[in-house]
Parts: sequence; C-alpha cells; structure tokens
Amino acid sequence: MVMCRKGKKGYGIFLVLFFIFPVLLTGCWNNRDLTEMNFVAGMGLDRTEEGKVLMTVQVVEPAAIISEAKAQSAQPKPVIVKSYEGETIFEAIRGILFNFDKKLFFSTAQVLILGERLSQDDIEKILDFFQRDHEINYRMDILVAKDATPEEILEVESDQDPIEAMYIKGTVENTDARGTVKRTMLIDLIKDIGSSGKQLAIGQISKEGEKEVKTEGLAVFKDGKLAGWLGPYETRGYLLVINQIQSAIVNVTKDKDKVAMEIIKSKGRIDVAFRNSEPSKLIVKVEVQANVGEYEGRGKLESPGNLHNLEKILKEEIKKEIKMAMNKIQKEYSSDIFGFGEHMRKHQPQYWKKVKKDWNDTFSDLPVEIQVDARINRIGSVKDPVKKVE
Amino acid sequence: MTGECDMRYWANCKWVKKMTEISKRKKTRNQNSDANTCLDSYEPIPKTIEEVTKRLNEVFSDCSDFMQRKISCGKYGMISILVAYFDGFVDKRVLNQDVIRPILDVFSNTELHECPGLYDRLKEYVVINNDIDDAEDMGQAVDGIVSGDAVLFIEGEDRALVIGVKAPQGRQVEEPDTETSIRGAREGFVENLLTNTTLIRKRIKNPNLKLEMMQLGEQTRTEVCVCYIKGIADDNIVRDVKERLKKLKTDAVLDTGIIEQHITDNRLSLFPMVGNSEKCDKLAGKLLEGRVAILCDGTPYVLTVPYLFIESIQVTDDYYDHAFFATFMRLLRLIALLFSNMLPGLYVALVSFHHTVIPFKLLITLAASRQGIPFSPIVEAALMIVVFELLREAGVRMPKPIGQALSIVGAIVLGEASVSAGITSNLMVIIVATTAVCSFIVPPLIRATMLLRFAFLAAANFLGFLGILFVAVAVFIHLCRQRSFGIPYMTPFSPLTTSVLRDSFVVVPFWAMVTGRGHQKYAGGASKQNTGR
Repeated sequence: MVMCRKGKKGYGIFLVLFFIFPVLLTGCWNNRDLTEMNFVAGMGLDRTEEGKVLMTVQVVEPAAIISEAKAQSAQPKPVIVKSYEGETIFEAIRGILFNFDKKLFFSTAQVLILGERLSQDDIEKILDFFQRDHEINYRMDILVAKDATPEEILEVESDQDPIEAMYIKGTVENTDARGTVKRTMLIDLIKDIGSSGKQLAIGQISKEGEKEVKTEGLAVFKDGKLAGWLGPYETRGYLLVINQIQSAIVNVTKDKDKVAMEIIKSKGRIDVAFRNSEPSKLIVKVEVQANVGEYEGRGKLESPGNLHNLEKILKEEIKKEIKMAMNKIQKEYSSDIFGFGEHMRKHQPQYWKKVKKDWNDTFSDLPVEIQVDARINRIGSVKDPVKKVE
Repeated sequence: MTGECDMRYWANCKWVKKMTEISKRKKTRNQNSDANTCLDSYEPIPKTIEEVTKRLNEVFSDCSDFMQRKISCGKYGMISILVAYFDGFVDKRVLNQDVIRPILDVFSNTELHECPGLYDRLKEYVVINNDIDDAEDMGQAVDGIVSGDAVLFIEGEDRALVIGVKAPQGRQVEEPDTETSIRGAREGFVENLLTNTTLIRKRIKNPNLKLEMMQLGEQTRTEVCVCYIKGIADDNIVRDVKERLKKLKTDAVLDTGIIEQHITDNRLSLFPMVGNSEKCDKLAGKLLEGRVAILCDGTPYVLTVPYLFIESIQVTDDYYDHAFFATFMRLLRLIALLFSNMLPGLYVALVSFHHTVIPFKLLITLAASRQGIPFSPIVEAALMIVVFELLREAGVRMPKPIGQALSIVGAIVLGEASVSAGITSNLMVIIVATTAVCSFIVPPLIRATMLLRFAFLAAANFLGFLGILFVAVAVFIHLCRQRSFGIPYMTPFSPLTTSVLRDSFVVVPFWAMVTGRGHQKYAGGASKQNTGR
C-alpha cells in the first residue's frame, strides 16, 4: 500500500514484485499426477548384519482398496510390502524402485518402524534423512519393533484395515484411552533429539500371532542407543510424569474388592530440589482426577469417608506405578527420559553446564520424591448399582 | 474523449485513414439513397392537401401499411382534412370514434369556406382524444406517423395535429422467466415502454419519480426513458447518465443490452457495470436506493446504474424474508460464486501439486478414481467443462419440446458413459456438476465466471495453489479499480462504507436497514466523487 501512493509507476513495480516473489520463494513444486506415484503407507528401517540399511516399504494399491469395498471378487492385495538393502536410506529408497513402476511418495507414510538392531546402533544418525528430506510427514508415528523385524511387522495382514499401516497407526492412537504405549511422532522425536537434557523414548510394537500386532510398552534409549524396555504399567507411570496421559484405567483394591478407576484428567510436573547448590532430590508432582468406573464388591461408596479412603488408595497405587518406572529407568537404564536435565537447563543453567556431561549418572543416584494428589469426581451414573445387600 | 492532438496522431496511422475513408463513403451513399425520403428536420408542411399527399407518398413510398384518408368537410366539401397513419399501429376503432366521427358530425353540415379558426376548433373541442399535439413541420409529422400516432393535415394550415391513438400491443404483463422468486411480486416488465412506466408509477406514487424520454438510434428512433427519484438519486449521476445517452451514436437500439455496452464504464471488463432486471419490485427497490433506471421501448430488460459488485448476490427475496435466513443465503451465494470460479482449478491443484494436504484416506480414494484415466487432470477438467457448456448452450438455443431429449443425452453422456468408458473419473463429474450448479446461482456474473474458470484452471495447472492465488489477486485488483458511474465497484468493502455493510454479506432486518432519507446503498461520500468518465 505504501508503494501505491507513489503513483502509477510505483504501483506497477509493486504488482510485478508481488507476482514474482512468491514464485521464487516457494520451495519444491512440480506438477505430478496422482496416477504417477505409489503411495507409501508405512516404512520400516533395520540394519543388516553387515551394517547396511534394510529399508521396507508398504505401498498402497488404491484400486484394490476401493474395489474391495465394492465387491468381494478376486482382487489384488491392497498393499505390497518390499524390502531393499542399501548403504544409505536414500540409496535404498531409490534402489527399491527396481520393483515398482512409479516413484514412491513418502508424505503419506503413517508409521515408521525401527528395528531392534538398528536401535542398538545410533538412531539419531539415521534420523538425519527424515529431517532433511522434504517429502517426509513430520506427523508420522514412530515405533520400535521388539522380537520382530520391521519387515515382519509390516507384512502382517490384519483383517481390521486393508492398509496395515493404518491399522498400526490406529492402535497407537488409541493410547489416549489406555496410556500403555507412548505415542511418538517424528516431530516430537526431533524435538527430543534437539534438547540436550532429555533422552529418547519411543513406543514399542511387537507381533501378536499372524494377523495382529501389539503396541504396548516403551523403548528407552540412552545417547541414541537402545537401553531397554518398559512394560505397560511402567510406561503408564512414565507417561503420568511427563504429562501425556489423557485417560487410563487404574485398578485398586479396597477391602479385598477390586475397583476400577478411570483417570479423566491428569497433570504431571517435574522439579529438582537444590541444597547447597547441589541437586538434592528429584521431585515428581502428579495431580489426578478420576471417576469410579467399576466396583466389584457389595459395599457402598457414596459416603465422603469412603471416597476419601478410595482417593488415598488410588494415590498409593499411582505412586507405586511411578516408583516402578522411576526405579527401572534410574537404576537399570540410567537414562533421563523424563527431561529432568531439560528442566535444569532452563532453571539452573550455570549448574547444568557443569554436570551436562555425566548427568545421567547423577540422575541415577538422586533420590526421588513422588507427590500424588488424587481426587474422585463421580462414582458413575447411579449412586449405587442394584445389588442384594448382604 | 480524445483531444485534437490525439486525433491528429491517429489520423497518421494508415489503417485509420482507410477506415475513415470507408465510413465517409458509407455516409455519402446513405445520403444519396435517402435523397427523396430523407426529410430536412425543419421542412415546412405544405398548405394544400394535394402537396401533402404527394410529399407523404414520396416519404412512405413502398410502405404498404401506410394509410391516408381524405375527409371532405363543409357543406360543399370545401375543406379537406387528411388523416395519415400506419395500419395496425393505431387503434382504428378509437380513431374512428374519437377523431373521424366528431369531425364528420360537427363539420359535415356547417357552411365553411375558409375558416381561420378551424385548426384550433378541431384541437380544442372536436377531437375527443386527450393525447393531442402540434406538428410544426414535416419532420415532426412523419415522426408522429412512424411512432404510431395518427396525423391530421388540414387544408390551408402549415401545422398538423398529432393524435395518439396507438393500439395497445405486445403481450400481457407476466411473471418473468429469468428472475423468479419465491416471495414478492410476480409482475415483470414487458416490451411496451408505456406499460413499463405505468408499472413503476404504480409502485412509487410520487411526483418526484421522474421519467425523461429521449429517442435513440438513427434508424430505429427507439424511445428510451431515464427514470429516477428526484431527491434520492444523485443529481450528478442523473446528469452523467443523460450525457452518456446523448453521446450514444448508433443506428439501432433493439435492446437495453446495446445501450449497456455503450454507456458502461469499462467496456472490456467481464464484470457487469450496469445492472438489468425484469422485475418491477426489484426496480422500484433500486430506484428507492437512489439508482437511475434506463427503460427502452421494445425490451422488458431495464438497466440500473450505478451497479455494484455486491448487487450480483442480492436477491429481492432477501428483503422479504427473515434476516438470518437471508444472511445464510447470501453467504451460500458467495460460496457458490467462489466454487463456480475455482472448484475445477482447486481440484487440479490438489491432485497435481498438493498431495500432502489431502488426508491419506481421501488421497487413496482420489488415486483410485483417477487410475486408468488416460488424460492429465487439466485436460480432463477442461474437456468436461467444455462438454457442459455445449450442453448448456444447446439447452438455451433449442426449441423447448426437444429440451428433454437433450437433458437425457446430457445426463447419460456426462454422468454415466464418460465414466464407464474410462475417459473421466467419477470425481471429475462431481466437480464439474457442482461447478455448473453453482454457476447458475449467481446469474449476473455468469459470463465472468465461465471464462475465469479456465483462467483459474490454467493457473492451477501451472503453479498450483499459488497460481490460483495469483489469478484471484489479479481479479480482485481489477474489481477494486472499477467504477460504475463514479461509484467504486467494490463499495461497501473498498472503500469501506460501514453504513452500507448492513446489506452486504450480512443482511440486517429491513426495519434496521432503512435509515433517514431514502436508503442510498452506495452512499458514503459518493456525491463528492468525480462522476465523470
């Protein structure tokens, strides 16, 4: 608009610049028809014994998927899984075309499965390609395969979704209802790699029979290398601390009766306490709001006393889960996947500079204080379900 | 429009010289051929009836429908009166009852030799008809005859009486086909100018409603009427309209469309700068908003100026209906406008450039529907749009009874066969069909959208979303630069006129819309604007 006031000439120049700049500023664009590409739904990466990269892609056959919905006639498989060995990922991506007629399109990749052998190597180095390439979707889910190669997992033929990668993605996405696997998108992983005070932790996937997979647990990394695994409950403890639980079912025992509590809101925070300019302990604060979902017993819950009691039990249960996770991570893997280091870097930058190098050891030795605050909001839609009173 | 200096420059160009020579030759030829029939505008009326008859026969030679009747009056048939008119053009019964019979009754037995007061007596108390006028010269008399009046020549007078006994002609007032509405008046304008002015007068009973007549077209001498409400319409605009109409030099005015092309501000723009309507209540509304209407004899389409962009999505129903509903419909029309322009372009941009913004499952569906199609998306889209436009044009031109056959062919060709033959994808049919439906929702802009659609398509194929953005920006710049009779085309958005925004994409209830004197929709300092071209 400033240019406009300078009269017709200025206006013309403004217009020309307006039209030219965007053309120069945009990145990669080329006219490519949908029919000229193969859509990659899932990717797998592993190392061979010789140290080469083993690339697995799951390619979608669109026509097969649509015709499957229409009629149950003989039709080609909706997905094709192919592997290729290359020195680098990029070479493998191009090399794999020996089997495909059209170029692969990677933006549609929903999941990236990392193999165990590759994880024991350095995954930070491998992820370079995924950051550098323009065609990679940063919202792609990443999982580490346990007791199976990525190829085996991508070759599973699920009955639930014609595209196997979508099925895997679905099982990861529903973690917000159960909280037993950590959902890691590529962008989160890149962020974690970028922060010096946090170690990597990626969700775990394993094969369950011929037709299904199981996403439960966590792969813990230390300095980019796989350090070990966490079970589902430990994973939940970990997720509570890093504030990634949306909903979960926690079972507690009240007077020998089982009670299922549904966490509906949870807030986790971490802190490091200092004494004499040395960290004295790690503090974990978790606030939980829960509903009573199920009570397998004949007692009554409605009285405030009962509920306070239940809150206390829930508190202990959650504390136990967190402690379990903390113990394993501190003592066995000694890898700060919680981000205490990151917290230190922000709040105690001077001290952080000193301990940065061997923070993981310091982290393992520090005592932990776990503060849990649990509140019960509702006990269900009825005061007490109908039962014969003893 | 151009200074003398420019003219001299142009005169140097060879082809301009050639053109002027041709036009000169044309003019001289016209003059030659018209030598007998062409009248000097001030040729006096001959005093004797014989000469008048001779002159009229010269002027109207080979006009089989030209009628003359000589009446001899006075006891001895001393006084001759000549009645001249076009057969079929005048109402003969009225002519006989109101003009001829009284003359015969009064004068047949009167002893008259030469009566100096005969002309005035005829005019004042013999002829019953109200519509009576003097013709001072032959030109006026002939004008009267050709426009359907009966002209009375009297022996010994150099004046003639022009008596309006025009027969009512043309069709009845009907509901217009082009602008149908659910609510509101069903009356539409007709071809007869007087009927049309009556229809307007019926709605605005106010002496301030001015109807100024003029004749346009050297050959056709069509009656054109400038209509406005004094006090509400901007005087500058009224003056501007009249000036532009006077400047209009053309042989024929057969429709307001010809006037529109001459007086429009930007003759090259695809967007209409002059509105037109067939609906009486709509026109009354426009007049009350301070607009100037141009009516033309022989066409039911009435022009309104100034015309703003926003008027193309305004419909009379909006004002008669609930404001919330009207607002929703306005927004819907806006979406339809955008869709009809951009939808094929957006589709092409999506499937050829921006695969990453399409959700995965939709992408699979898209890819599946495109599989096996031999054409690139742009060829496919252009092909389907052209086929659709062909069908549309055929539907307009063909006789109505065959229309059904066309729609069957269209449905089968467009919908079924092309898909099952693998020439186009299912989705493309949906896209083109949606575009077609949308393009009919905003009829005033249909010619602009039809062509812009291809521009968007080409740009999308070349640069994707960026190309669409470019074309859109270019169109917006064009729109914002336009003026219609001095009023910026994009009022009330640019310049922002908050008081008028009440009737833009949002419609406030009618009781909240009308403010003060009239409701000048294009106000906002409009009168201060330079209204000249």
